[in-house]
Amino acid sequence: MEQVQTETSKMSWWNSLTARSEFTRDRVVPILRYMRRNRLIVFGLGAFMALALFVGLSFLFYEQEDSYQERQGVNGLVRAASVEQDQKPSWNPWSGYPLGTDPKGRDIYAAVVVGVPLTLRVGLLAAAIGVGVGMVLAFVAAYVGGAVDAVVRTIVDSLIPIPSLLVLVLVATSLNPGKGLTVDQLGFVIAVLAWPGPARVIRSQVLVIRERGYVEMARMSGTSALGIIFKEMMPNLAPYALASFVAAVSGSMLASIGLESLGLGPLDSPTLGSMIFWNISESSVLLGLWYWLLPPIVVLVVLFVGLFMISAGLDEVANPRLRRRV
Amino acid sequence: MFVITIWVASTIVFFLPRVSGQNPLAEKIYQDAQRGGYQDPAVQERVRVFEQKYGFDKPLWQQYVKFVSEVVQFDLGRSIYLWPKSVNEILAEGIMWTLSLGLLTLLLAFLIGSAMGALLEWRRNNWGLMVAMAPILALSAIPFFIFGLVLQLLVFNIDREYPLVYGYQQGVLGWPDWSDLSFILSVLKHGLLPALSITMVSLGGWAMGMRGMMVTTKGEDYMVQAEAKGLPDRVMLTKYAVRNSLLPQVTGLSLALGLIVSGVVLVEIVFGYPGVGGQLVQAVSRSDYPTIQGIVFLLAFGTAAATLGLDLTYPLLDPRIKSLAN
Repeated sequence: MEQVQTETSKMSWWNSLTARSEFTRDRVVPILRYMRRNRLIVFGLGAFMALALFVGLSFLFYEQEDSYQERQGVNGLVRAASVEQDQKPSWNPWSGYPLGTDPKGRDIYAAVVVGVPLTLRVGLLAAAIGVGVGMVLAFVAAYVGGAVDAVVRTIVDSLIPIPSLLVLVLVATSLNPGKGLTVDQLGFVIAVLAWPGPARVIRSQVLVIRERGYVEMARMSGTSALGIIFKEMMPNLAPYALASFVAAVSGSMLASIGLESLGLGPLDSPTLGSMIFWNISESSVLLGLWYWLLPPIVVLVVLFVGLFMISAGLDEVANPRLRRRV
Repeated sequence: MFVITIWVASTIVFFLPRVSGQNPLAEKIYQDAQRGGYQDPAVQERVRVFEQKYGFDKPLWQQYVKFVSEVVQFDLGRSIYLWPKSVNEILAEGIMWTLSLGLLTLLLAFLIGSAMGALLEWRRNNWGLMVAMAPILALSAIPFFIFGLVLQLLVFNIDREYPLVYGYQQGVLGWPDWSDLSFILSVLKHGLLPALSITMVSLGGWAMGMRGMMVTTKGEDYMVQAEAKGLPDRVMLTKYAVRNSLLPQVTGLSLALGLIVSGVVLVEIVFGYPGVGGQLVQAVSRSDYPTIQGIVFLLAFGTAAATLGLDLTYPLLDPRIKSLAN
């Protein structure tokens, strides 16, 4: 009797968890079940979460004394030199600075912690603008068709073969020569060439989806063009848009780090690319300052591999043909 | 398309520096004038003469027409910083280094990567290959030059004597001299690391593309027929599967060109390679606009020309297109 009781109580516990709401049952559970199959997304997101946790905790709890013997949070340690003149550059993980200090006397750990959100910010800003503009252009081109479509397609096709980094170099040098750009300006500069790729991908998808039965149905039942776009097509485009957004974030970060490594980025903010620029320009490898070069590289590798995994996983969602046969 | 790309590139290259509203020519002349220690009274006059020489005194549209018509004839003007050297002379020094590095690594990565991808799908249960693939895939997510920096660090800590920067041993009288065997050896030794960093990183992309195509090809009817005919495994792999899967890879080649060019420029900077990438950085730091414009235009032109060339050779590789055209 008791056995049965526990059995049913177990069952009801399970039921209350899974069937607490229709939302959980219809949305969350299938996603979780799918994620168990699509390991790439899980690993990629995991890498991101770990990095976010690391950065967040450091911002909250990491403190050091600067050279004036005052306690400083992460931000302060990056702005001011944190060690005495004779201590820089140094690698002394057991005497206070976990990753050592760079030739200017700044705490490398603090610089990396501040650099991650700045670098991500550039990538997200540029990708958001790029995918946004690309999406609008794609819908306009695919929907209006005719001459408009031809013009958009020609512009996109002629921009894609041009090596974007070089044009960005030109933009960045023309905008603010010698002084470098701010982090947000860098994001806008990269956005200038971030839209042709998404525009091309999304346009071809819009053309495919437009011919589907349910869109035809909506059109016949008198839904307006905007209604069709937002209610019928957008939800079905979401995986493609998301996949091209993640790819755009990765591409924009690549461009930002390229520009920064050329010395065209925000040299006074410790983005990861600027750290690499200082490493290259002071030839830290030859000076044996591996502890200055390695941290930004490790973080960048985690970021890029994580983004790559997420985008490969999303590709699988968007493109069922790629799904692994079970 | 090719013509439009060239036109777009030259227009971008023309207008961007002029938006900035600064005058590198006058700045350079003022700098030179002050170097002697006394203020040259005729300096204004000299600025005017040089502006006439560069054609900066004419209205913008006349400058634009002149610029585009000259650029089309590959007359890229004269450098401001290294006056009276022409941009063509400057580019001639660097372009061979860049071209050989870029083309060689592109071909190597394409061939090895495609072979790996083909084998990966053909021998599905080969654990050695799969284990080798994991790090190569992870590598493909990170930028070329970041991996280059890692290579530098590794090699420096293994062999302090190994050359990490520049294209050949510096300080030897009479070099560069292509008839001297030891010079060629030195070039190879210096080129190994940059080439390795580009090739290793691009392998993964080609391998994955090839594997995807092989999956599709393996399901085709002619593969079943070949197996039924009892053809040897090797013939089926090379003559049937690889040949048909390779075609879409060649299309990918034209898309990869722009990325490779951007990547090679950055790798050159990391390794201090004497190609146009290093020249670009120098020109940027000197605000030498004609040189920047020249490099950007040349590389954009090269990419577009290579894309066109691939499009034109495609019918030769794929007899089906040729017969369609006939």
